[in-house]
Amino acid sequence: MPGWVFIITRSLLFLLLLFITTKILGKKQISELSFFEYVAGITIGSIAGEVVTGLEGNLYHGSLAIIVFGLVTYLVNFLSIHSKKFSDFTEGKGTVIIRDGKILEDNLKKERYTIDEISTLLRQKNIFNVADVEFAVLEPRGNLSALLKKENRPLTPKDVGMKMANEKEPQTIIMDGAIMDEALRWAGKGRDWLYTELEKLGVTLDNVFLGQVNSYGDLTVDLYDDKIQVPQPQQRPLLLASLKKTQADLELFSLATECEKSKAMYKKNAALLQETINKLEPYLNG
Amino acid sequence: MTVASNVKQCLVTIKGIESQLSSLAFNSLDQEAKAAFHDTALTIGTIKKDLQYRILELERQEPQYKGS
Repeated sequence: MPGWVFIITRSLLFLLLLFITTKILGKKQISELSFFEYVAGITIGSIAGEVVTGLEGNLYHGSLAIIVFGLVTYLVNFLSIHSKKFSDFTEGKGTVIIRDGKILEDNLKKERYTIDEISTLLRQKNIFNVADVEFAVLEPRGNLSALLKKENRPLTPKDVGMKMANEKEPQTIIMDGAIMDEALRWAGKGRDWLYTELEKLGVTLDNVFLGQVNSYGDLTVDLYDDKIQVPQPQQRPLLLASLKKTQADLELFSLATECEKSKAMYKKNAALLQETINKLEPYLNG
Repeated sequence: MTVASNVKQCLVTIKGIESQLSSLAFNSLDQEAKAAFHDTALTIGTIKKDLQYRILELERQEPQYKGS
């Protein structure tokens, strides 16, 4: 058998073996979250490389080594799940670098990081002033997690006391002009509903590249033909506007009428409608 | 435009709002939003009843504008 056929068969075989190994070890192996996975990842890769190109090497010895490394990693993961002490030992613990806004020099020395390296890591998180940081941890894989002081954190609706409507994740129900039935089911809709909505927008299914539905049942589409303008869903903002208009109308009637009883009725309903508007505003905006 | 026709127009808008709220209550997935739409649809329903009653009154007082 010529050398190149040998290499091709070995490459394919080892590709399959590596694929299966990482599949079994899971996402953690790919992201190399812990020290152990990092070492196992490098070693498995280099063993595979060695065996694939080294014609004189033994195929079975290489495979065996990969399987052993995979098995040990799997076992370590398994034990780490069950024992916190074991996982601290194999995967390492985070080191606190900044606490209460002060750099802990001893911990820095223990991890052998210079202040320059720490500032680089902070800058990568868009933090240029160490004084802005309340708390920072050096994670086992060498990246830094930082918690800013409350006054330096981005403003959220909660900070300003705004009530926000909760939204579910949008579902992608059309891809490349094909209906995704499972996503459609998740959105609680059927094909009939989809055809009606497409008709409302005035587009055909074949022309839709991407179609998504949000948790209010609004359909937004992207078409193949970028020259066509698709109307944006406006039902909710329009509804808010007509609620406001009606509220103003009722106020007007209450001023215009001379009948005391009707005046009171209009006033009461205008107030009721105002209450309704306040309640619905978070859901109808945007 | 008479008073009666103004009130009627308002009633029609109210009816439209009620039906839109009901359909939103059906189409929304979030339970909280669903409940809010449903509750407000009921509130709008009571306002609608008051207006309908008022229109009957107006038509009795000014029969010449009946149906307009």
